[in-house]
Amino acid sequence: MSKIILAIILGSAFGFALYYAGAADRKNVRAMLRLEDLTLMKTILYGIGLAGVLIGAAASLGLLDISHFNIKNMNAGVIVGGAIFGIGFGLLGSCPGTSLASLPYVNKAKTWGIIIGGLFGAFLFSISYGSWLSSGIFKVFDLGKLTLFNISPKFPSLYAFGAEGVLLMGLLFILVSFLLPKKI
Amino acid sequence: MRKNNWLLGGIFLGIIFFLAVFLVKPIGVSTQFSVLSGKIHTAIAADIVAPVPGKPGEYTSTNPYYAKSKGKLIADMKNLANYDYIFVISIPLGAYAAAKALGRKEQLEVIPADANKLQQFALGFLGGAIILYGARLADGCTSGHMMAGISQGSVSGFVFAVSVFATAVPTAILVKKYKSGGK
Repeated sequence: MSKIILAIILGSAFGFALYYAGAADRKNVRAMLRLEDLTLMKTILYGIGLAGVLIGAAASLGLLDISHFNIKNMNAGVIVGGAIFGIGFGLLGSCPGTSLASLPYVNKAKTWGIIIGGLFGAFLFSISYGSWLSSGIFKVFDLGKLTLFNISPKFPSLYAFGAEGVLLMGLLFILVSFLLPKKI
Repeated sequence: MRKNNWLLGGIFLGIIFFLAVFLVKPIGVSTQFSVLSGKIHTAIAADIVAPVPGKPGEYTSTNPYYAKSKGKLIADMKNLANYDYIFVISIPLGAYAAAKALGRKEQLEVIPADANKLQQFALGFLGGAIILYGARLADGCTSGHMMAGISQGSVSGFVFAVSVFATAVPTAILVKKYKSGGK
């Protein structure tokens, strides 16, 4: 039960942050993708960086339950899926999380189109998964749950360096977020 | 106002991505599109899923995607009151609270004068279907793969981000060219 309350609090806070950061505003995302206004990119880089710093620091100090880490598999499906995702992302300036956070804005017909179309797309994938599986795509570039740094013995890592590596990586993202100009 | 507050937005997002890992698990959104569409699918075609005898909580299916990981998706479809699903459907709540608190009434985008609601819905539907098809194939989206993934140092997160921007940037540029060239 307490997990459900946490889900409501964290989910709402995430929606609040996406809206606040302007990430739910599709025209901001499209301006970023056209490389015309990189303000949102600065926000995203800083967000990833700060999360990395806090995760790395908490894990290094032993304050983080490392069973909470969840690393996704690396294989060719990530590359092909990402490329397909990018076409829709570039077309609309919306992604699954931000589509839900853009409901307060005008043009609700398009927002609902994205959400319902998204359900349809997910359904199409569910029924075509068997074909992808037999195509062998998930066995190509199959590196498993590979991480850069050794955050948990559960995952293979590129470097033997531990969670401090995540902290340093986060600092690097923060540095880049400040250096990146809003307009190029 | 957003222009001056890129940093505050970033701080806010960073803290939430950290808190999610610290308290429960990394943030993810797109899986829940598979859960809800699967719930509708299996409500219509109930005979494609079945519980595994003698193993409570485990399910099997004639659909290999639903059957994956001991039928975890099916278990979630059967009980939508789970952490991941409630997290995702709470996103609009927070967005509405933000819209109210910030009093930001600016337009999301300029809607073309000749556009009707059905056209806008259809365009959204097409794009949304592409986005989620790709996200499910990649097993994650900009939240789970890119933000949550990279902040844990996940290699797949970096690869996903590169792949997404490789097609999203040219697509966004072409869309604008086509729009301004068309009229």
